[in-house]
Amino acid sequence: MSGYLAYLVFFLIVALTYSIVVMGLNLQWGYTGLFNAGVVGFFAIGAYGTAILTGPDRPELIGGFALPFPAGVVGGMILAALAALLVGLATLRLREEYLAISTFGIAISIQLIGLNFDALTGGAQGLTGIPRPLFSTFGTPGAYNLFYLCLVGTITAIVFAALQVALQSPWGRLLKAIREDETAAASLGKNPALVRLQAFVLGSTLMGLAGGLYVGFIGYVSPLDFLPLLTFQIWAMLIVGGSGNNRGAIVGAVGVWALWTMSGFAISRLLPVHYQSQGGAIQVIIIGLLIVLTLLFRPRGLIGEAQSVSRHAR
Amino acid sequence: MTKHLLLSGAFGLGLMASALPAAAQSCEIPVGSVLSITGSMAAIGKAIGDAGQLAVDQFNEAGGVAGCNVKYILRDDQGSPNVGVDAAKTLVEIEKAPVILGAIQSGVTMPILTSVSVPGKVVQISCCSSAPTFTQLARDGGTGGYWFRTLPTDRPQGVVMANIAKTKGYKKIAVIHVNSDYGVSLARSFKAAFEKVGGTVSSVTPYNQEQASYRAEVNAAMQGDPDSLFLIAFPADGATALREWISFGGSQNLLLSNSLRADEFVKSVGAQYLTKAEGIDNAQTEGPSVDAFNKAWAAKFGSAPNGPGLHTMYDAAAVALLAMEKAGKPDGTAIRDNIRAITTGDGEVIFPGPDGFKKAKELIKAGKPIRYEGATGPISFDQFGDVTGPYLIWGVGNDGKLTVVDKWDKTRVADAIAEIDK
Repeated sequence: MSGYLAYLVFFLIVALTYSIVVMGLNLQWGYTGLFNAGVVGFFAIGAYGTAILTGPDRPELIGGFALPFPAGVVGGMILAALAALLVGLATLRLREEYLAISTFGIAISIQLIGLNFDALTGGAQGLTGIPRPLFSTFGTPGAYNLFYLCLVGTITAIVFAALQVALQSPWGRLLKAIREDETAAASLGKNPALVRLQAFVLGSTLMGLAGGLYVGFIGYVSPLDFLPLLTFQIWAMLIVGGSGNNRGAIVGAVGVWALWTMSGFAISRLLPVHYQSQGGAIQVIIIGLLIVLTLLFRPRGLIGEAQSVSRHAR
Repeated sequence: MTKHLLLSGAFGLGLMASALPAAAQSCEIPVGSVLSITGSMAAIGKAIGDAGQLAVDQFNEAGGVAGCNVKYILRDDQGSPNVGVDAAKTLVEIEKAPVILGAIQSGVTMPILTSVSVPGKVVQISCCSSAPTFTQLARDGGTGGYWFRTLPTDRPQGVVMANIAKTKGYKKIAVIHVNSDYGVSLARSFKAAFEKVGGTVSSVTPYNQEQASYRAEVNAAMQGDPDSLFLIAFPADGATALREWISFGGSQNLLLSNSLRADEFVKSVGAQYLTKAEGIDNAQTEGPSVDAFNKAWAAKFGSAPNGPGLHTMYDAAAVALLAMEKAGKPDGTAIRDNIRAITTGDGEVIFPGPDGFKKAKELIKAGKPIRYEGATGPISFDQFGDVTGPYLIWGVGNDGKLTVVDKWDKTRVADAIAEIDK
């Protein structure tokens, strides 16, 4: 494979992994109005869960069960779901900004547990040597990456299709109803607390799924992967792409991640060699500027939510 | 609405198009570097980037590498693994760099290594990542030999201490260590090395910092009747623990870590209890090759090269380029196979600087062996890509003064490690 194509495959694997996280957040924020500022925490639980379940046995670690990759990913999703259930039960009575602050704190706690629970997570040194599924079956890294892109792409498509079905069902309309006016939904005999919890757990499970796919691809996990910055990146993807629309979520994930990475590439090409050490700062400015410009010109995101009462009514 | 989309798309294409001509120059060999220019390590990242640039500039002044100019491409990882990995991937796939220098934090370096460098058969040399997990990965065969670093790890310290324990005739040693990255990995490498040379470690006891008493830990360490103690600690806590150890009747056959080489530690324990103790510390690297780098840095940037990672980054770049020259082509595997050829053996010694590199190029052309002595002094990589540094062994005199008992230069350390790895 030529260089650009090989890179594109690599790029899409990461971007589509993030798009699954963004769809999870979209379910929580875009449809249900839950301000989850702890996205990275559930991503981390999925990633660590998968790493511990599939990783090789090491004498100094509790984990290393060397399970097959699919079992590891499902295990990571279950762990993320359980964590979300606990967090949800504890915090979902909170409204907007209070929910944001508490989930933010929980994500940081999860990262700190990763940093300090040496026997389970390897501490600051992380977990190495996590097997990449079917790696030896493919002769070259290029072919392997292509396989992994197909895997991630298929999973993304399934998640997208399943969410579309769920969101067009009565349950999906109920989410929007709760987002728009919780009291009105309750007066119709619905249980907003339960539905909010469902959306929160389901969204967080998707984040856990993405975490598992990320670990399977990179083959390594450390607390540095789960800094709060990632939560911000995911939010930027959702807002730029268009919250309340899963197509927007995918477009936002790919678009913002492209901006984040290609700006660095462009700068390294354009800047004279001796100014390269200033390039990093310029890159951060460009990323911020382009996100702001997008929002100025397209305040509802690149593909915003479709305005509709019901798809049956015009 | 579509107009805006088109506009931004056109803008993106414009960026790409204007980026293209730079790549079309004749015969340039790219050398990639991924460092934290922004983010949590930004304070040291820029200067480290400059150190790599200095080595590349000096090579170009000496006539380039393998008949081509070297192009130094520095990418920012923003202190995030995901950004760093992506940057490394563009360097390897699009820029076709056969070497990646970096990254700074182990948490960024490791995913680049496992998901970009090793599968892409590209050499990766880090200036700054000290985590022992890299050695572990190399031992498991996970690096394919493409991994090197120019910063010494804790492992040589563990090996040297194990050797000292053996020479002193200790059979069964207890280890008490501070519960941190540093303490855990030093204790681990000491235990492995000491058991390899035939000793027994009776117990390994971690302690948490800044406690009033360590009676429980000391008690635990005394189980199994050890004839000696290796204490890995910081001065204040170390003194507390050691006083309790001695008052409980623990052996005065003591080994001490580098962090305990402090007058306050000796004073608060009492010099009379420490006369049989020996400790280890990093020795300052010195010599003409180090001076050559320091002078070149001062001439270019107008200040002394004080700061972490400068010397090691320079050496990372220089080693990569010399190996490339020796290999004769910008190919990752060929570079990997030549790195040890230019750092070991009895070849003519090469110092940093354009003159040194010019000399190296001539010698390589004539088919003669060279040995690079860099900004960190003589440099040699073990089978796992780790380097060693010089160490000194310290003791405590009867008057309570710290003394230097012995010196271990790099060759002696390297020999000891080779003995263990056998």
